[in-house]
Amino acid sequence: MKTLDQTSSLFWLLVSILVFAESLRIGIGTVQNPGMGFMTFGASGILGILSLVLFFQASVRKEDFRQKPLFAGTLWRRIFFVLLALTVYARVMPVLGYLISTFVLMTLLFGILEKKRIKFVPLYALVATLFTHLVFSKWLNCQFPHGLFGF
Amino acid sequence: MDFFGSILYGFQVTFQPINFLFCGVGVLVGTLVGVLPGIGPAGAMALLLPATFKFSPTSTIILLAGIYYGVQYGGSTTSILVRIPGEASSVMTCIDGHQMARQGRAGPALGIAAWGSFIAGTIANIGLMLVAIPLAHAALKLGPPEYFALMCTGLIIVTYLAQGSVLKAVMMGLVGIILGSIGLDLISGFPRFTFGINELTDGVGIVPLVMGLFGISEILENLEGSLEREVFKTRIKNLWPSLKDWMEAKWAIVRGSVIGFLLGVLPGGGAVISTFVSYAVEKKISKHPEKFGKGAIEGVAGPESANNAAAGSSLIPLLSLGIPPNPIMAIFFSALIIHGIQPGPLLIRQHPDLFWGLVASLYLGNGLLLVLNLPLIGIWIKVLEIPYKILFPMILLFCIIGVYSMNNLSFDLYVMLFFGVVGWLMRKFGYEGAPLILAFVLGPMLENALRQSLLISQGSFLIFVTRPISAIALGLAFLLLLTTFLPHFKKRRQQYDQFKE
Repeated sequence: MKTLDQTSSLFWLLVSILVFAESLRIGIGTVQNPGMGFMTFGASGILGILSLVLFFQASVRKEDFRQKPLFAGTLWRRIFFVLLALTVYARVMPVLGYLISTFVLMTLLFGILEKKRIKFVPLYALVATLFTHLVFSKWLNCQFPHGLFGF
Repeated sequence: MDFFGSILYGFQVTFQPINFLFCGVGVLVGTLVGVLPGIGPAGAMALLLPATFKFSPTSTIILLAGIYYGVQYGGSTTSILVRIPGEASSVMTCIDGHQMARQGRAGPALGIAAWGSFIAGTIANIGLMLVAIPLAHAALKLGPPEYFALMCTGLIIVTYLAQGSVLKAVMMGLVGIILGSIGLDLISGFPRFTFGINELTDGVGIVPLVMGLFGISEILENLEGSLEREVFKTRIKNLWPSLKDWMEAKWAIVRGSVIGFLLGVLPGGGAVISTFVSYAVEKKISKHPEKFGKGAIEGVAGPESANNAAAGSSLIPLLSLGIPPNPIMAIFFSALIIHGIQPGPLLIRQHPDLFWGLVASLYLGNGLLLVLNLPLIGIWIKVLEIPYKILFPMILLFCIIGVYSMNNLSFDLYVMLFFGVVGWLMRKFGYEGAPLILAFVLGPMLENALRQSLLISQGSFLIFVTRPISAIALGLAFLLLLTTFLPHFKKRRQQYDQFKE
């Protein structure tokens, strides 16, 4: 946890410095008439101080060698694939429309973990897509994009 | 309108077909969400919120409330049968509830959990009716300094009660305040921290933030490891607890209800913490503490009553003061704002249909949960057997629909994904999401109150200590923070964390 706390504290320190600088830029005003950067100026200042406290606390602590490395055993490929699929989906959904893009996305997601009955994956995806379309678009009147093909 | 007339009026509102339907749908969806690990009450509320836009605020709030206390019921089923708490508020039920199931007493465990929840929910409703109105009257006398102090106290209690490091929880609170300030400044009307991105002018949406931090991050965490889980196979019989069970559990239910009610009202309190306190109290005062952990029915009755009582009473500060005491209430707060209703002291007077309709729906929902859920336990067990490989794409799709439907913007999906990754890393690095969400919602109100107070006092911070209510609230918050550094409290806190683990 020592290295993790040191790393994360430095990250928050960086965030606090950026917000602090931006708060000064947009104007903190005066105590009598606070400006729009006043609150974030204070919050980022305290965040910066606490980040330093966390960093020094972690630095004087002994490393616990019994603890497993943070990302040991993480199935990176699976997580990366899901995130990539979702990012591409967010990009193409307005272009291809809800039905097509969701069907493709669900086929990919169902396919990630299904090893045995892979032939059923498109069927699961189709049912999920049509079911959500029916419930949310038809019954609850949520607005989904129609895309190039008009559906 | 007198008190009983108002209650009758509330039932008239609740029994309107649409509200009755929403109450039923809310408790069923809530129970389902409680059974399934993955979405959580905040995520489920956020998901259904866009679908309520064409309905009245009263119907919307009845639906959201149904989800909230339905989750408390549903979480107990997974805790008892699978030893996986569907929700954090059901963690304590795992300990003795699952042991009871292993001893062939799953029926009484589920039964006492349901009855305890029903009784506690009813007690909390009565408390809500009795406390909310006088509190709202008193709140009319509060000014910006008092509001600022109360919100600060709430945030500090949330960070104090955080599961891990207090320091990290405070840091998350500050990050929440910073995130909450993105968008148009309330006073000057100029954009800030938008970095030229037009979609950020209205600020970061609560729905993508919540879905990302709680929903997506949990899915990513689950995808890391093995996805198999074992449902304990047992025949569930005798859902009605025996007389002996009732005798053993009755005071635990009463104590759990009182503890839950009090902790739910406190800013920063809520269903989760009340279950820990209730379990600790039951074990401490029991004549047979050695039975705890081995299937003591009090260990199920107390926490299950506490979480339902807290769910009901946490509505009090929201409806009477306009201050959400926990992240779930922060979603309620946002829902009310989206529907054009300002939560606060004037809410009960200006929207009696909403307040009394909600109160009556709490009675109705509690009854519905009892009538529907005990016979439906078989179905919930079947739901538990759905493999995660089928479940996780569906949960992801629901998250996407909930986020997209809010503003019909793909940008919100990117925001959700961004906070999903941030939330996943936060879990890895030991940071909690709850203080961040609460501070995110309270941030703009906090800023407004601070700036107004300083304008009133012409720049003097003494305004916060010369007014009695704000001085007491800030003093309490300061003392609470101070105790985290005292060795005695540090030790107690470590014991508390170990106990929770």
